[in-house]
Amino acid sequence: MGAKNKKVGVIVSIMLVGGALTYLALGNFGENLVYFFTPSEVKAFSSEYYQKKVRVGGMVVEGSMEAYADRLGMTFELTDGEATIPVTFEGIPPDLFKEGQGAVVEGYWTNKHNFQSNLIMAKHSEDYMPIELKRAGVKLPRKDFMKTLVQ
Amino acid sequence: MTSLYLRWGGLLIVAVGLSVLTYNHYQQHLSTVSPHQMKEQAPRQEIRLFGMVRGGTLEGKVKAGDATFELMGNDTSVTVHYQGPPPDNLRELKTLILIGKWNPSDNIFEARDIGLITNYGFVIGAYLIGLIPLAIFLFAMSRRVGLLYEEIKESKLYQEE
Amino acid sequence: MIIHRVIRKVQRFQGWFGSGAALCLIAGLYIGLVDSPPDYYQGEVVRIMYVHVPLAHTSLFAYIVLSVGSMWYLWKRDPIVDNMCHAVAALGAIFTTLALATGMIWGKPTWNTWWTWDARLTSYSVMLLILISYLMLRTFIDDHEKEARYAAVLAILGLVDLPIIHFSVEWWRTLHQPQSFSMRGVSMSSEILIPLMCMSIGMSLLFSYMLMVRTQLLYLDRLLHAKKGRLLSQFHMSQSDS
Repeated sequence: MGAKNKKVGVIVSIMLVGGALTYLALGNFGENLVYFFTPSEVKAFSSEYYQKKVRVGGMVVEGSMEAYADRLGMTFELTDGEATIPVTFEGIPPDLFKEGQGAVVEGYWTNKHNFQSNLIMAKHSEDYMPIELKRAGVKLPRKDFMKTLVQ
Repeated sequence: MTSLYLRWGGLLIVAVGLSVLTYNHYQQHLSTVSPHQMKEQAPRQEIRLFGMVRGGTLEGKVKAGDATFELMGNDTSVTVHYQGPPPDNLRELKTLILIGKWNPSDNIFEARDIGLITNYGFVIGAYLIGLIPLAIFLFAMSRRVGLLYEEIKESKLYQEE
Repeated sequence: MIIHRVIRKVQRFQGWFGSGAALCLIAGLYIGLVDSPPDYYQGEVVRIMYVHVPLAHTSLFAYIVLSVGSMWYLWKRDPIVDNMCHAVAALGAIFTTLALATGMIWGKPTWNTWWTWDARLTSYSVMLLILISYLMLRTFIDDHEKEARYAAVLAILGLVDLPIIHFSVEWWRTLHQPQSFSMRGVSMSSEILIPLMCMSIGMSLLFSYMLMVRTQLLYLDRLLHAKKGRLLSQFHMSQSDS
């Protein structure tokens, strides 16, 4: 490899890495500083957010889930302990989606104050144990889920 | 160099042994049957039935561990009566594994427990992708070190300068 | 020469690391894939943790070794330390890539997505970028001494990313779950902890072993080049003499 080629290589690699870092810094953190909004924040959205695709994270309210009988989809509620928002979802929810557990949904907050989503991501906690222990009521130390939402 | 190949051959044998053990474990404890296969084969022994709970069909005292619902396979669905420990993960539109017996006389699957999701393909994929590149990389490096030693020895570069 | 003595010493322990790694990993694989129970919430998929977490923590360990080695090099200018840094960067890049790949495979069945730009995943990818740029820098600079110096500076600058990766799940809202080992305690029952520990210890030993092999490889390569170069110049000199 000649000296000129090497120089080109240095420039290309610096540009590649620099570009990637800038993309990460501006493209993802610049536009939405948080990875997801909480239901309280979504409730306070102004009308300019209605057409924006956003992510909301919260806990699925116990007993709020209702699946449609005629097609694949469901409605449920997400809460952060202070505010609760209704969510309509089209599709098959992921395996780990469960009432009383965390979920991050992607979609649009509509002017009817309803969140419409077609992507649910299930959040799981950091405690791991076999089902026998869980049924025996063993509790392992873990971070309070509501705290992970507002940090 | 021969000892290098011998060592890696040994590791390869152990790896094959582990895969056989894993495969047996899967076959014995984790393989499942779809509603369609179940209706065709009508097995008498206990099976693990795999399907999705149809929306709007879950009824009964779910929290107490007594429920009836419809389980959908690809094209066939079957009515399930679940009676067992309070289920942790029973809800509509949930893909799950039911452990129990098929009762052909009244077309009801009597489930006594809910098995945990298997998704074994992901597990195997992660282990293969996580470990095989490391093994290949390490083997290539060890081999190259051996070759370099031989080259240094042969070209007599190590004799006094 | 001191370097030769170091190499010889390293070689003496190398076998122990290698066989220790093999034993721990084989035991860990057996317990993790066959003997251990599934998790109450994730089911069988939790077994992916036994390969993902060891890979991820080893890659962080690799970066710590890289930055400490770089500081040592800038201080002492010991060429074998520079070889070690060059070796550990390549290994770190491989471990990071594999941790990302296994993490993606774990993410699909649990989170329902292969990839998402949350703080943990983003800061971890930045580490891979730093390692790749480190390796590129080493490939493209001609002057060996300059190459080693610049690379060491880059590695030390990149150390900023490490606490960000570690605390990202505690500081920001993420999809990734918080640490299982923290001030709160250990959030794993022993059935899950044992295979994870086996694989973690095995992976650390494997990493150390691979580092020894690779450092040796780079060292021998350099030695061979230097000696060949010297022979070549001797040959040229003898020709120009005659």
